[in-house]
Amino acid sequence: MNPKQLEMIKEDCSRIFRDPDRFSALKNESVLITGGTGFMGSWLVEAIAYLNDQHGFGTKLTLVARDIDRFNQNQPHLASRSDISFIEKSVRDLIDIPGDVSWIIHAAGTPDNRAHSSNPLDVIDSIANGTMQVLDASTRLSNLKKIVNISSGWVYGAQPKEMPRVPESYISGPDSAVITSAYAEAKRMGETFCSVYKGQFRIPIVTLRPFAFIGPYQLIEKPWAINNFINDAINGGPINILGDESTIRSYMYPSDMVNWILTVLCEGESGLVLNLGSPEGCTLREVADMVCGCIPGETVVISQTLNRKPKHSVFVPDISKAQEKLGLELSVSLQDAIKKTIEWLKLG
Amino acid sequence: MKKITISDPTLRDGSHAIKHQLTAEQVSRYCAAIDKAGVPIVEVGHGNGIGASSIQVGLSGESDIKLLEAARSTLKHAKLGVHCIPGFATIKKHIKPALDLGVDIVRCACHCTEADTTRNHITFVREQGKQAFGVLMMAHMAPVDILVEEAMKMESYGAEAVIIMDSAGAFLPNRIETIISRLCDTLNVHVGYHGHNNLGMGIGNSIVAAGAGATIIDGTARCFGAGAGNTQLEILVPVLEKLGYSTGIDFYKLLDAADLAEKELLQSAPRVKSISVVSGLSGVFSGFTKHVERISKEYDVDPRDVFFKLGERGIIAGQEDMIIEEAYALHQKKTGKPL
Repeated sequence: MNPKQLEMIKEDCSRIFRDPDRFSALKNESVLITGGTGFMGSWLVEAIAYLNDQHGFGTKLTLVARDIDRFNQNQPHLASRSDISFIEKSVRDLIDIPGDVSWIIHAAGTPDNRAHSSNPLDVIDSIANGTMQVLDASTRLSNLKKIVNISSGWVYGAQPKEMPRVPESYISGPDSAVITSAYAEAKRMGETFCSVYKGQFRIPIVTLRPFAFIGPYQLIEKPWAINNFINDAINGGPINILGDESTIRSYMYPSDMVNWILTVLCEGESGLVLNLGSPEGCTLREVADMVCGCIPGETVVISQTLNRKPKHSVFVPDISKAQEKLGLELSVSLQDAIKKTIEWLKLG
Repeated sequence: MKKITISDPTLRDGSHAIKHQLTAEQVSRYCAAIDKAGVPIVEVGHGNGIGASSIQVGLSGESDIKLLEAARSTLKHAKLGVHCIPGFATIKKHIKPALDLGVDIVRCACHCTEADTTRNHITFVREQGKQAFGVLMMAHMAPVDILVEEAMKMESYGAEAVIIMDSAGAFLPNRIETIISRLCDTLNVHVGYHGHNNLGMGIGNSIVAAGAGATIIDGTARCFGAGAGNTQLEILVPVLEKLGYSTGIDFYKLLDAADLAEKELLQSAPRVKSISVVSGLSGVFSGFTKHVERISKEYDVDPRDVFFKLGERGIIAGQEDMIIEEAYALHQKKTGKPL
């Protein structure tokens, strides 16, 4: 990775940890992260490494991932650290967790919808059974302090159009009749497992339901709207809006994401369920225009003309519970998130 | 005014009609004419798509690269598209060189129940910043729920359009309306239709598809295409315009291109022959016609019986060897002895 890209990550981490004492519960502790080499995992590792380097936290990290070689190749600055160790296997095969682990962030499970459609059974297996496996192994830990289960905002199913932001109290679910619901259903099952293990084994668990993110470490070729817009723009445009341009999405910058996850890990009360994302919904047209504005030149935005009724969807979280319970806020606007992402990609 | 994007596979589907013997010179001439007419997408290559040239489905007279180079150097306005069936076409050997050469759109096609096979190809094309469409071939063989599910997979892989391909010319308008409507209700991307004329439904089905919400319609000059031929482009465009759709195509120049196609490309104009009707009714890929006729003659059996037998077995493109199997079985039944 380009040293300038690393500098950007460190600057973001410095902003997260203006008050590192808030995370002091992690000092000299051992943290296990499943899905430790993905987008979310990579940011969490960068953040904890920063706490160790800049604030002497002495936190030990164990990453569970299927492909450590790729991590070694893409993030050699992290792979070679002595405070990070690896367990190379699928969470489904995780029998034992190192005995000194006291904090777990269970972030395994690809959000890539290409995998959800083409291999739904594997997705269900790795998410649902993987979650049960992690929970089962955690029952044998003598000093477990908390597990953060990273679920998904998709567990709500289709967000009603008249509901601008979906709160945690909204009870609904994905359409089980369609194959593309496999990921959401598996995440829902994962949440149920967490509730059962919390009730039956008294394991302290909090659940986060992430929505959409944009920032460094996110693979720009992923088939999501904002990624496509940025990819189109970087390649000289035009920016193509696929589908209904009035579809509403919100995006959180990863430094805010990390701040929220670690705060919930340290301070979240067992049983808590919180949304994780930005409450500022924008239409795809607004997002595309924003991306356009961040690229010098004459990039244009092209909307499709589909001869049919508009069919926009909404996927935006209500975060008032996170604000009330833990005082969590967003510090990076979408405009800045897009600018920073483009800058980071151009450095690569 | 509702807009319809016309995609012209004359130089791809038409290749079936002349045993894949298109020359670079023919491609250049037709591309020049159709480009002037303002047709927005022109598909070029072997009838079964890039990388398909083989003894099994027919050897090309010219390589994909030569045909695409000829098209690329001629087309000034139209996007250059290729048909790509994963298996015939591989990413490294066929798609990457095609994109490097300037192909704008890759139509990743598969049998209508096998969208999974297109994932890597669609993903690669999108990652290269080019357009990828998904194509569900032989769509008459699957119920609408399955087609919707497969189309959703293609959309999730990044396809910017999903095209329903009536490879056997077997659809009747009522099913087209149901399928296209359901796809438009479900998908967020363009829905398209590619018709064949076996049952005389090329134009009719295309109009029904447009009415149900399809925004990409395929048509070829003088029906130049597999079997009974495709939806006839120079009729499709004015009919759509008359119905109030905008295609952005210059009618007179389109007619000129069609005249040129007749003169330069066609050895014999595709027409709805008796065997094509049987192909449509039996639901067997139009491209099988020449193979069925040749093999039936060889085994001294009625090609119509062969088609219906193939239809009963649900044979699809790539299973051309089954024609021999069925012809042989019919021969045995007829004569009571092996060859």
